Amino acid sequence: MSRLRRPSKVMRMWDWSVPPTSAHREVLSIVPEGWIDEPRATRKPPILFVHGLAHGAWCWREQWMPAAAERGFPVYAVSLRGHGDSGGRKRLGRTLLRHYVHDVMQTITELPQQPVLVGHSMGALVSQLVADRYQPRGLALLTPAPIQGAAYELPKLIRKRPLDALKVVAGGTLPLRSEQLFTGLDETTAARYVDRLGRESPWAQYELLIPHRIGPVRCPVLVVGTPDDRVVDEKAVEVTAAAYGVDPVWLPGIGHDLMLDGGWEKALSVVLDWIDERC
Amino acid sequence: MNDVVDRGGAWAVVGAGPHGLSALKNLLELGLDADGFERDTDLGGNWNFHAENSRVYESTHLISTKPFTQFPDFPMPDAYPDYPSHWQVHRYFRSYAEHFGLLDHLAFNSEVVSVTPVAGERWDVTVRDRESGVETTRQYAGVVIANGHNWWPKIPQYPGQDTFTGEIKHSADYKSADVVRGKRVLVVGAGNTGCDVAVESAQNAKETFHSTRRGYYYNPKYAFGRPSDQTADLLLALRLPLALRRVMFKSVLRLTVGDFEKFGLRKPDHEFFETHPIVNQQLVYYVGHGDIQPKPDIDRLDGSTVYFEDGTSAEIDVIVFCTGYLAHFPFLDDSYLNPEGDHPVLARQIFTPATPTLAVSGLIQPDSGQWTIAHWQGMLIATYAALRAQDPVAAQRFYDAIVSETGVRFTGGAEYKDSTRHYYEIAHQEYLRAIERDLQRLESMAPAISGSLAAAR
Repeated sequence: MSRLRRPSKVMRMWDWSVPPTSAHREVLSIVPEGWIDEPRATRKPPILFVHGLAHGAWCWREQWMPAAAERGFPVYAVSLRGHGDSGGRKRLGRTLLRHYVHDVMQTITELPQQPVLVGHSMGALVSQLVADRYQPRGLALLTPAPIQGAAYELPKLIRKRPLDALKVVAGGTLPLRSEQLFTGLDETTAARYVDRLGRESPWAQYELLIPHRIGPVRCPVLVVGTPDDRVVDEKAVEVTAAAYGVDPVWLPGIGHDLMLDGGWEKALSVVLDWIDERC
Repeated sequence: MNDVVDRGGAWAVVGAGPHGLSALKNLLELGLDADGFERDTDLGGNWNFHAENSRVYESTHLISTKPFTQFPDFPMPDAYPDYPSHWQVHRYFRSYAEHFGLLDHLAFNSEVVSVTPVAGERWDVTVRDRESGVETTRQYAGVVIANGHNWWPKIPQYPGQDTFTGEIKHSADYKSADVVRGKRVLVVGAGNTGCDVAVESAQNAKETFHSTRRGYYYNPKYAFGRPSDQTADLLLALRLPLALRRVMFKSVLRLTVGDFEKFGLRKPDHEFFETHPIVNQQLVYYVGHGDIQPKPDIDRLDGSTVYFEDGTSAEIDVIVFCTGYLAHFPFLDDSYLNPEGDHPVLARQIFTPATPTLAVSGLIQPDSGQWTIAHWQGMLIATYAALRAQDPVAAQRFYDAIVSETGVRFTGGAEYKDSTRHYYEIAHQEYLRAIERDLQRLESMAPAISGSLAAAR
């Protein structure tokens, strides 16, 4: 873990002087009837899902949202700007992680209670940056983008997929193919999902390469990884878990997109059981 | 007394305005027990328009923009404008309280009538239910005072004031332009309220005179298409020295507004940042229209005539004194707040050298938005309270160190003009840096608080 000087939690000068612009936000939700006005009617905390690189709120809507709602959780998923049906696509080339943090914060303040934040991949990094200023009920990080910065992955990428590496360096979106995201999904379904992937902000992608000094947090933290992840390696998961003093939960047999891949039920129950027990 | 309810390690919070809410939220967030007391039927303090002690008027808008004004962990909605209205601000505080579950810990209609020390540096807090009149006393490990300092009017006295035949009002009574409509009005004072009232009077009254003690810098809400406070924060972020920032601000004023003297306003007798900033884009405009007639200080009053120091006079129907407010703590013996004349002198504007279990939040007047500071004051108090519960010896060490700096001001290098208005004036970034250092110190004393984190759960 790098010995970075922790950026100040208090003196957020850039946020004060050059605040993020606003963008239309797509927020999907499934909540019990009347819950908004009577949030304590359910004993379950709301869950807010934050998607990863090039994904959108839709990736949660396929399987996890209906299943979690079935178990009684009020569930929300936000599309970060430039993703899914959110606005800001034209400004994607000028979008930074702090804009994504702003989008998540805006979604949070519309909820009647503090949610459990569930972030996937780049969304896990965004969720950690959110938790650095706001205390959620819990913080679940699924196959998280490495907080130590993904630069160490570059040589591997250059060796294995030189054209992809070149593209990323030039500011293009990291190509994600079905064999990287899924291990147990039929081809048609996998192709359908991959088709829905959009573009990513080049600046946000560059920010994924550099280390982020975050935490500690006061809420419970869950870190989930899979040895069969072909986007985020085990080291990234371990370093993230260590930063919060927890042991990662490993889910072999599932790919990077564990909310869509075959076996998603298993991954979801790990998260929901943890919320029931700890949050 | 034998009917005192012992609340154990809980802290009491007096007032449910932004500072009270923030203190309550942060105490609860750090796992402490806390009760908030609010004398009105709703939260919001000054921003609760209908409350008896609310001093906002119908047209009140923020004079600072959202980024620094909002709580950092609960930003205002994107749908709000740069400078939200007091109605929006009130709705914002309500959603903050609901989101963090504060309503369960707040008692409304509950006026704190006395806060008295008992053995062991604990406090008896007596609260009167304003409906039933019943008083109850509970005992707390500590008390946060957040009853505000902009509600107790300061009314000046001029020779002949008792002979004045018109109406005399304080801005505390000013809720809308109805007070001035169709009348000959004298507005006294060039605080932000005084300027707002003068502008509103210019739009509604028959004639408006504006008496000020000195010339001021009237800053625009926008310059070059950007909110002025964000530009100020940008210059501070770039660490530009005070002298350079002064030159830049004065040139911007020159370029965007122009020379105040040409409008008939007096030349400021002081440097930029030596008085609390006035943010009002309309005042100079109405002076230019002749709808506001600038006047110096009042010399004396006689019947319906007001004489000014420059020898001129005017016939006046209504005087509105926008002469500010004084801090007032009717439930507490003043000596616990280390008074000097008519105001408390504290460490970090929070801790009093008189006792380690009393903290004040909100006794500040920043040259910026306010509630980012409310959040960090609340966080500092809560972290200190948590440390006291966990390790009283370490907490005492922190307290001793901090009160040794009682009276230290955070002026950003400027020298504030001597006025009751600047008792609590702070340069916001310099102040927050000090609070951050204190927080780091506290957290290093008690790793379990900063949360050796998830593992601790």
